[in-house]
Amino acid sequence: MSYLRAGFARLAGLFARQRSDDDLREELQSHVEMETAENIRRGLAPDEARRQALLASGGLTQAAEAVRDRRGIPWIESAIADLRYAARALRHNPVFTTVVVITLALGIGANTAIFSVVRGVLLKPLPNRDGDRLLYLRQSMDGPGGENVSFSVPEVHDLRAAAPALGGIAEYSAWTVTLQGDHDATRMNVGLVTGNYFDVMGLSPVVGRLTRPTDDGPGVPPVMVLTHDFWMRRFGGDFRIVGTTVRLDEGTIATVIGVLQPAPFFPDHIDALMNMVISPHHLSAQMVQGRTHRMTEIVARVAPGATVEQARAQVAAGYERMRSDHPDAYDAGSHYRISVIPFKTALGDRARTTLWLLMAVAVFVMIISAANVANLTLMRGVRRERELVVRAALGAGVLRLRRLLLAENVLLTFVGAVLGVVLAVGGVRLLVALAARYSPRANEIRLDPVTLSFALALSAAVALLLSFIGTLPREGTLGTWISAAAGRLSGGLRKQRLQRALVVAQVAVSVVLLAGAGLLTRTMIRLADVSTGLKTEEVLAIDVQLLSFAKLSSNGNILPDDAAAKANYERMRQEIAALPGVVDVGLGSTMPLTVALGQLEVKAEGRVPAVGEAMPRADFRTADPNYFHAAGIPLLTGHPFSITDRMGSGRVVIINRTLADRLFPGEDAVGRRVAWTGDVLRFTPFSGDWRTVVGVVGNTQDGGLDAPPRPAMYMPFAGELALGGSVVVRADSDVSGVVAASTRIVQRIAPTTPIDHILTIAQIKDESVAPRRLNAALVSSFGLLAVLIAAVGIAGVLAFSVSARTNEIGIRMSLGADRGQVLRMILREGGVLLLVGLGLGLGGAFVGTGVIRGLLFGVSPRDPMTLLGVALMMAVIGIVACWIPAARAARVDPLVAMRAT
Amino acid sequence: MTDKVDVKQGTLALMILTTLQGLGPLHGYGIARRIEETSRHRLKLNYGTLYPALLKLEQEGFITAEWSQSENNRRAKFYALSAAGRKRLAHEEREWRRNADLIAAFLTPQRETP
Repeated sequence: MSYLRAGFARLAGLFARQRSDDDLREELQSHVEMETAENIRRGLAPDEARRQALLASGGLTQAAEAVRDRRGIPWIESAIADLRYAARALRHNPVFTTVVVITLALGIGANTAIFSVVRGVLLKPLPNRDGDRLLYLRQSMDGPGGENVSFSVPEVHDLRAAAPALGGIAEYSAWTVTLQGDHDATRMNVGLVTGNYFDVMGLSPVVGRLTRPTDDGPGVPPVMVLTHDFWMRRFGGDFRIVGTTVRLDEGTIATVIGVLQPAPFFPDHIDALMNMVISPHHLSAQMVQGRTHRMTEIVARVAPGATVEQARAQVAAGYERMRSDHPDAYDAGSHYRISVIPFKTALGDRARTTLWLLMAVAVFVMIISAANVANLTLMRGVRRERELVVRAALGAGVLRLRRLLLAENVLLTFVGAVLGVVLAVGGVRLLVALAARYSPRANEIRLDPVTLSFALALSAAVALLLSFIGTLPREGTLGTWISAAAGRLSGGLRKQRLQRALVVAQVAVSVVLLAGAGLLTRTMIRLADVSTGLKTEEVLAIDVQLLSFAKLSSNGNILPDDAAAKANYERMRQEIAALPGVVDVGLGSTMPLTVALGQLEVKAEGRVPAVGEAMPRADFRTADPNYFHAAGIPLLTGHPFSITDRMGSGRVVIINRTLADRLFPGEDAVGRRVAWTGDVLRFTPFSGDWRTVVGVVGNTQDGGLDAPPRPAMYMPFAGELALGGSVVVRADSDVSGVVAASTRIVQRIAPTTPIDHILTIAQIKDESVAPRRLNAALVSSFGLLAVLIAAVGIAGVLAFSVSARTNEIGIRMSLGADRGQVLRMILREGGVLLLVGLGLGLGGAFVGTGVIRGLLFGVSPRDPMTLLGVALMMAVIGIVACWIPAARAARVDPLVAMRAT
Repeated sequence: MTDKVDVKQGTLALMILTTLQGLGPLHGYGIARRIEETSRHRLKLNYGTLYPALLKLEQEGFITAEWSQSENNRRAKFYALSAAGRKRLAHEEREWRRNADLIAAFLTPQRETP
């Protein structure tokens, strides 16, 4: 108790300094006077009485000091004094301070921002209860679109039976509904889920309730659980929405029963979750019994007491059994396989490489900035050696000097860190946009105590590094130091070696960064060169789906609805075609340069696949007679569809070059017959009849500019159900001029149908390379930043060396060395550092760039052109950085230099 | 002079508290004189020992300080024992006696053995 009390009193003593000092002086004074009076009474002369009294006191100043020490907390006071002194010293050295603070701020800012993203997207525990026990199951096969083929209901049942280590398997199926507002309609991406879904996922509602097993099956009312994100966006976080009903497609009504806590979803971004009853198809025998009818995603939770490894083994064994029991559902040539992935890992899959790359880049920048700051500190240390010597001569111990340096560095790095955090706030905002393209967890990114401590730890580490890099003599050798320093001051060999090593490291790291930046930039250039397969970019695509999923999946006769939809599409086509500037308008299921609705196995007449060969597959698309011309897709052979290719007429198709090469290698495909095939066909509205190929069109980059072309088969738009639905508009010059008018026409004809996309080809292209461009831009700017800092480093070290050698240069010049020789001498000094750094950096790049192989396109990670270019660039910048101090050295006037000793 | 000893902080605190209990509120000079007299001038207190000890006792709440007039009309800072100080003193005294007894018990028989 009394300790605590004394502690508070002392803390308070820190602030009540002035008042108590007066008090103390008065008290001591009164003591002396009383003693003097007593001495006088004892018979001493007044002067002698006072002298004796003072003598007995043992020194007033010492007493006051002893009391003062007792009053406050001495080390805090001296630390404050140190900091105050440091602030003054730094203010007097504005250039040094500014450069150091900015360099540190950039390093710390970049690291804090990117660490926040890495933490939010990859490291932070999931918001789900026991999130590390959540698993995501993925079924894959070979070929485009095969990374995730999802599961069918019978497969889910088999897995449930085979893997008791999975405590619960929840089903999730992506679906879209149209939310009818009073004046508009919104497309909602929803997940149709089984009643155990939320229990397995470990999620709770913010308000209301979640679905439960009683919501499963037919004959129950449709219910909807809003995701937190959609609730905020669409309903402004209004609690009253719970319990109300919403109008969906075709007059269906669903009750909003609750709002989910914020949580990431995978693989799709979704607006709401519903029970299966909303889609009769999901409860149909087709869906429930069709082993190849795969449209269900699986999330599972490891059972209590079981391990992920057990679950993985059981799933693998069960899957093996499934494949041998149903050989026709797992085409051997396509190598069906299953993987069990921790949910958190699955969420971070696409972001991982990019983020770790950025983190590595940020760490590199930090290394370079720290090296630069260390260098600057070393140089400044040499300049202020005299000051330190004076302090030592006045009695400051090594510890005291060390503390003084630490105070300065703490102040510097702290200011740097604060600025860095400010930069990070902006940086995080920027990076969230980047991360959102890769990860459903982007909204979890924030600067929180953990990331701020990261910034703090970083700056503390730098401060310590800086304080111990400057050499101070060992305790006990101060005397020698002082006497030695009375003469000439120089950096000392050890210090110069350290500086040089730092410069070499900076150059090397910069080269590695530049190499990465160069490779990513070259990737961008390669991508820009990739042909989309279209003849023109003046094309606009409007995705508007008149025949809804709900209609398609209802079991009634949809032919009248289909006919009505097609009639409306035709009206849109004709009205837009009449707009000025429009060259042609076509209709099709899917806009060009985007992935088709799905793919099916396909066979060619008279061709039997070899044993073990994967079944050929093709994207299914529809197109009307104008589609190819409107989209600018070149017709290679044959002819386009004619307007007589309608429902029930002779079956014709147009295939793309990839499919033609696959089915009829080296032969003319036109006139041959092909057909859809495979088990999945029965779940589609397409017939498996033979169809005659009437034309072959060029490939288009449907999977993205960096993906291999996908085989595609186009059926006549009028001959099949109006699946999807895209109006493709070609303009004679600037297609963006017809966007507004086209949109108005579409909205007038289909007022209750939301437009899913309205994009020009240029926009689609741009969208497909945007993440890579952002990568390249980020890494490049970091690379340039690094080079800049490194250049400052080289120039600084050389300039320092020149100023330390001014005297020597003067002597050389007076002995007959000309300016050219001096210039070469200094350039040589810098050139050696540059060369060593370049060599190390290129070696590092050669070894290190392999890790970004996955982010590159059309360029090898060890692309010699890039490495050469990077080396050249670094060399040029380095030489310029050397030239400035060298030129200054050459301007040295020998007379002035020698006199200046 | 050689038999004059410096006091240890802990013992000094005890001496100050005893002095204040015996004489009532007193200024620093009075406390110093009293302690030196009680020790029959074997102890010598300089300010640098006394005043930090007073401050410490004040911070711990065992004594209170107040400016006031001294007997010969001089302004001086008077220290007085607080309730906590009284309790502390009683406790310290008990501890001291117990320890002294203990040490005495060890020291006494040794002298009798030879």
